Amino acid sequence: MPGLFTLGGPRRIRFHQRVQLWGIGFVLPTILFFAVFKFGPMLWAVGLSFMSYDMMSAPTFIGLDNYRNLVADPVFRASLFNTLVYIGGSTSLITLVGLGLAVAIKTRVPGARYYMVGMFLTNLIPIIVVCLIWRFLLHPHGLMTQLLHPFGIQRVDWLTNSSLALPAIIFVTVWRFAPYFMVVFLAGLLAIPEDYYEAARLDGANAVSRFWHITLPLLAPTIFFVVVVSALLSARIFLMPYFMTGGGPGNATRVLSMLIFETGFSYLKMGQAAAISVVLFAIMLVFTFAQMRLFERGELKSVG
Amino acid sequence: MSPSGKRSASFARLKLRSRGWLGSLLLAALAFGFVVPILWMLTTSFQAGDRMYELSTVWIPSAWHFENYSNALSRSPFSQYFLNSGIVAIAVMVSNVVFCTIAGYGLAKFRFPGDRYVLLVILATLMLPLEVTLVPTFLVIHGFGWLNTYQGLAGPFLIDAFGVFLMRQSMLSIPADYIEAARMDGAGELRILLQIIVPQCLPALAVLAVFSFRDNWDQFLWPLTVVSQDEFRTFPLGLVRFAEDYGSPPTEQLAIAVLATIPTVLLFVVLQRAVNRGFGLSGLK
Repeated sequence: MPGLFTLGGPRRIRFHQRVQLWGIGFVLPTILFFAVFKFGPMLWAVGLSFMSYDMMSAPTFIGLDNYRNLVADPVFRASLFNTLVYIGGSTSLITLVGLGLAVAIKTRVPGARYYMVGMFLTNLIPIIVVCLIWRFLLHPHGLMTQLLHPFGIQRVDWLTNSSLALPAIIFVTVWRFAPYFMVVFLAGLLAIPEDYYEAARLDGANAVSRFWHITLPLLAPTIFFVVVVSALLSARIFLMPYFMTGGGPGNATRVLSMLIFETGFSYLKMGQAAAISVVLFAIMLVFTFAQMRLFERGELKSVG
Repeated sequence: MSPSGKRSASFARLKLRSRGWLGSLLLAALAFGFVVPILWMLTTSFQAGDRMYELSTVWIPSAWHFENYSNALSRSPFSQYFLNSGIVAIAVMVSNVVFCTIAGYGLAKFRFPGDRYVLLVILATLMLPLEVTLVPTFLVIHGFGWLNTYQGLAGPFLIDAFGVFLMRQSMLSIPADYIEAARMDGAGELRILLQIIVPQCLPALAVLAVFSFRDNWDQFLWPLTVVSQDEFRTFPLGLVRFAEDYGSPPTEQLAIAVLATIPTVLLFVVLQRAVNRGFGLSGLK
């Protein structure tokens, strides 16, 4: 702290040090908590990934065997592929739908506010309830299929057809999360000064070019934030496939988090499960680095 | 204004208004599409149980079967499950409100060696969600002897990195002069926090409370991992078992689903004004 020793006498120093200690004291519980529940476990996971451990006998070091097993395992490869497809699919759709809805709400059409609150409801429902509702609606003869009756389609195996199941889960994910990110986008849109649009309008710019040349560039930090956060959310998906499809049909909707749980707690192969954790961690690392750069640049103020 | 100018202006207004109605209609349809599944859940939960197996959707039930709710509650110890979820969610919410506030304050308004890295370290935990650290976190809780306990259920979620970040951001703009002045007047650090800082960041606190409650009220994977005794099951575990059981009428499953939705919606409604401000939506009419 510059000027600390020039400002006053010894009393002044003691005063500043005491304040500083309070600051450290405020932050300390959080640091300790994360050491026990985040960093400790992650280091442990990395260590375990080189071992064979079943909780009955002591862990034994087996080098890279867990990782070799993973590479050779078709179920792991399918889960990794599904996880990446799921992240890509839901992130891009959430962003597009969320942005589209926010732009529509921002036009201040009559009643926009109520529509917003209505849509936001999807975000307040417990995930298990989301899964339950959609398991009924996506029944082969359920409401979603009934919508297709006019087109002569009587039965659709939304969740039991291996090429429809993952898209169906992505659809449900978008239903659940897009309205949340709509609100984040809306906050970003409202922060853009109205004068910019006014000036562009006077210059004769139409709605499309106003969106392209004003909204999009100024919204870029928010878009980036939404992409990163929804990717991190998607990487963690567990309950939707667990409850709606059980990972099937075959392995069509099995994702890494499910595989971690099954490997660790159904088969008690904790080392193997830890190795899968490290892979999932690597995926999250990519997105988190992107996010940290964003936080560092300090472009985000109030996005919750 | 010349007559022609007046006419073109009113014509433009007319065009604008008709376009507004068209947009409103479109948006209404979209919003309705989002809400339909929720309405379906509500109405079906009052449907006659045997009718449900026909998978016909009756938007207004011919008779309202309120007994679906009491029947569902009596089939499994759902009141215990709801109580467990509530205890965990409220404990985690209170802990987050307290610790994220003090940590956010420490990061926003204090300078100490390494303070810049502390924020980065805290944010780094965002890439360590429970799904990633599931196995070792289980071993930690197992080591503490906390399997099948409330502290085991709540433990790993008591402080959330995003909450800390949210609180820090909301405190950055509070002028340092306020704090300095209070200090010169001899106010203690805790009193400054409670009387000067906290009142300024109530919107952020509301956002933190709502989302912390929502995220922990419906915990599934973690209870599935650390709970094996029925008396500590949270309602999502109970609901999955109930739904997987072939004898359970869908209407009763949906009755439980409706009950499970009420607390989060209620909390949101109570805190809605503050949440709106916390999101930066006060500009919206």
